[in-house]
Amino acid sequence: MNNEAGHIHPISSLIREANRIFYDMGFTFVDAPLVESEWYNFDALNVPKDHPARDVQDTFFMKDEPGVVLRTHMSNVQVRYMESQMKKGILPPYRIVYPGRVFRNEATDMTHEAEFYQLECLAVAEDITMAHLRYTIERLLQGIFKNIEIRFRPSYFPFTEPSVEVDMRVTASDTPEKLRNKWIELLGAGMVHPNVLKNAGVDPGKYQGFAFGMGLDRPAMLRWGIDDIRLMHSADLRFMNQF
Amino acid sequence: MRISRKWLEKFFDAPLPEAQKIVDALTFHAFEIESVEKVAADDVLDVKVTPNRGHDCLCHRGIAKELSAILNIPLTHDPLSGKSDLPAGKSDLPVSVSIKSDLCRRYIAVLVRGVKVGPSPKWLRERLEAVGARSINNIVDATNFVMLNIGQPLHAFDISKIKSQNSKVNIEVREENGRLMITDGHADKVLGVAGVKGGPESLITESTTDVILESANFDGISVRKTSAALKLRTDASQRFEQGIPPELAGFGALCGAEMIQNLAGGEIAGFVDVYPRPQERRIVSVTLEKINKVLGTDLSEKEVSDAFARLGLKSEGNFTVRVPFERLDLEIPEDLIEEVARIVGYDKIPALPLEPDPSLGKPPVNPNFYAAEKTRDELMSQGYSEVYTSVFAERGERAVLNKVGGGKPYLRDGLIPGLRDALERNSRHKDILGLKKIKLFEIGTVWKDGEEKIIVGTADERGVSEKPLKPLSADKYDDLPLSAAMHYQPFSKYPYIVRDVAFWTAEKTGAEKIIQREAGPLLVKISLFDKFEKNGRMSLAYRLVFQSFERTLTEQEVNEIILKIQEVLGKSGFEIR
Repeated sequence: MNNEAGHIHPISSLIREANRIFYDMGFTFVDAPLVESEWYNFDALNVPKDHPARDVQDTFFMKDEPGVVLRTHMSNVQVRYMESQMKKGILPPYRIVYPGRVFRNEATDMTHEAEFYQLECLAVAEDITMAHLRYTIERLLQGIFKNIEIRFRPSYFPFTEPSVEVDMRVTASDTPEKLRNKWIELLGAGMVHPNVLKNAGVDPGKYQGFAFGMGLDRPAMLRWGIDDIRLMHSADLRFMNQF
Repeated sequence: MRISRKWLEKFFDAPLPEAQKIVDALTFHAFEIESVEKVAADDVLDVKVTPNRGHDCLCHRGIAKELSAILNIPLTHDPLSGKSDLPAGKSDLPVSVSIKSDLCRRYIAVLVRGVKVGPSPKWLRERLEAVGARSINNIVDATNFVMLNIGQPLHAFDISKIKSQNSKVNIEVREENGRLMITDGHADKVLGVAGVKGGPESLITESTTDVILESANFDGISVRKTSAALKLRTDASQRFEQGIPPELAGFGALCGAEMIQNLAGGEIAGFVDVYPRPQERRIVSVTLEKINKVLGTDLSEKEVSDAFARLGLKSEGNFTVRVPFERLDLEIPEDLIEEVARIVGYDKIPALPLEPDPSLGKPPVNPNFYAAEKTRDELMSQGYSEVYTSVFAERGERAVLNKVGGGKPYLRDGLIPGLRDALERNSRHKDILGLKKIKLFEIGTVWKDGEEKIIVGTADERGVSEKPLKPLSADKYDDLPLSAAMHYQPFSKYPYIVRDVAFWTAEKTGAEKIIQREAGPLLVKISLFDKFEKNGRMSLAYRLVFQSFERTLTEQEVNEIILKIQEVLGKSGFEIR
């Protein structure tokens, strides 16, 4: 019994799985700081200074470090990465995937955590279209959930234009009834806003691309039927050892 | 925003489809619908207007315009379709307006004399109440109606309460302590906090006869800051916050004044319109080629021009679009592409395989992720299970400023405290976990020595330790196993009780089945923990764990179960030790 193998965290397993899918499509895994400047987290992403998302209640601001926050999404990687490539003289195409921990300053309950995981994906080239976006999302979700359908709905994010919300439904017959054939809002996506490319030094007249960001806790909860998001950070083996 | 179906119908000659069709139309082509509620014979939709459309869609006209485009039903009664010219008044109007701040782009004051304040007619009360607004009196209701109808907040003052004897009312818009205020320049009275709330002195009451109707444009950011500082969010401030078009103020004044006359009588004595920098009309261009290149579609010129026409975007050629004044969100070609996409429908966008790009080559392997994966795999093979603990800690080098609740504001400078705590908590569950030893690990970010770094921590009975994660380079990622779990089983949060049962037996089978049968569903774990042979007989010892999902078990009820198990085992030829 002492030789029994340990268990992987469900989020780590999802990241491993996602990276495999993306690697096959030519995406590079990128990591980035959790403590981030407001520039990369907001301004560079076309989020105006007076935007409600920057209000005190949503964002953790660092004490005695003006202009520094805990990243509120993985999108901070977009301009960081493209800018560093441009500085090295490497022009698009870019294809990157970047999962990690993000922060929202809110009270926690069964479906809300102040710390959670997101995975984002960015593809920029001369000819990346919204049709490629649909394919890439389908391929990721197909890999994780099998037998899925997705649909786009109009939405708004400052850093994409057009912006869409993506719903998924699982159609496989062995899916638990709670999940089967039900549309579930899963992620936000869109075509990278020209201002974001511009802020990274990439010519928006020549290049275009897509980006999408998905929380990882929710897909993990859906996939394994986990009822409380707080279990993810509970370090409780009664939970962990089931994975 | 609450939107009434009956209210929407007033914009159309053609009938609107049933509520569900309206919900679907908006959901897939415009906005999310939070809920639909039946209110008397009406359907009220709660429409989640996105922040980029707050300037034109926080009103029934905006939603009606969207529906007109989506369902291709002409918007035959559009209050914004004509000109917003007010009838010229007398030149000796006892009202003047001066704007002393750039934060006010336009201010219209309309003087309506001889009104009779009273209750609103039934149809108006019903309209307002259906969308959650309270009916006050005909004047105030008229201002609210116009706001909910076309999105322009209005305010009505009682002129007799602000005018000094025989003199004019001199309305001034000025900044005071960073706030935009409406004051009477003569009498130095505060008439209101611009865009947020009117002053109590000039309130409309039953005795009011002469009214000044304010239809103005205040800076969105300024109104947002003021209303946040005053902790006062009003229907008006919520709309001004969005940054509404100054052209709209003209329509607001016209609609408001006409409605007041209709409801409360009186006459429009005249108006003052101070509008120093009229809103510029925008022209945005996009080509058919660009639209298809961004969307990955094969739309025809006709499909695109049709989408523009339905939205009321006058387009010429391929494609130069004259943007209506109320569509402040349409600035760049990509904005027009989004308009086409959502009117045509996102279901028209195909899935196009993202082929490998030869110029990219094989993706490089991320040294941190590779090292983390390798470490994870090694530790798991040694029996360590992975945990994630919070980055927030009691101590550390850096802290956050504004944590909800205030506890643990520091960012951890190591993994040890979190892992030690996890080890201690899990040790209490050894029996229910069926583990002899608890072994944990975490690969996580810490903030130490002025750096953000990834470290690896392990925790077991020998102690808790941590070391840096050393980046590793590699040609490709290893093919490591994924979690094999199918479905997670919730566990009980109630305490459990452990009992051991030991007995002698000649032949060693059958006892476990008997124990399980007699113990029933409260037995959640059974394990053989001791076994030895003596004088040709076998001694077996089982550890039984009892737990309920609904309650805390008592010692007594578990003891009774154990007695029953022992009795049945005895009768079946097992000799209890």
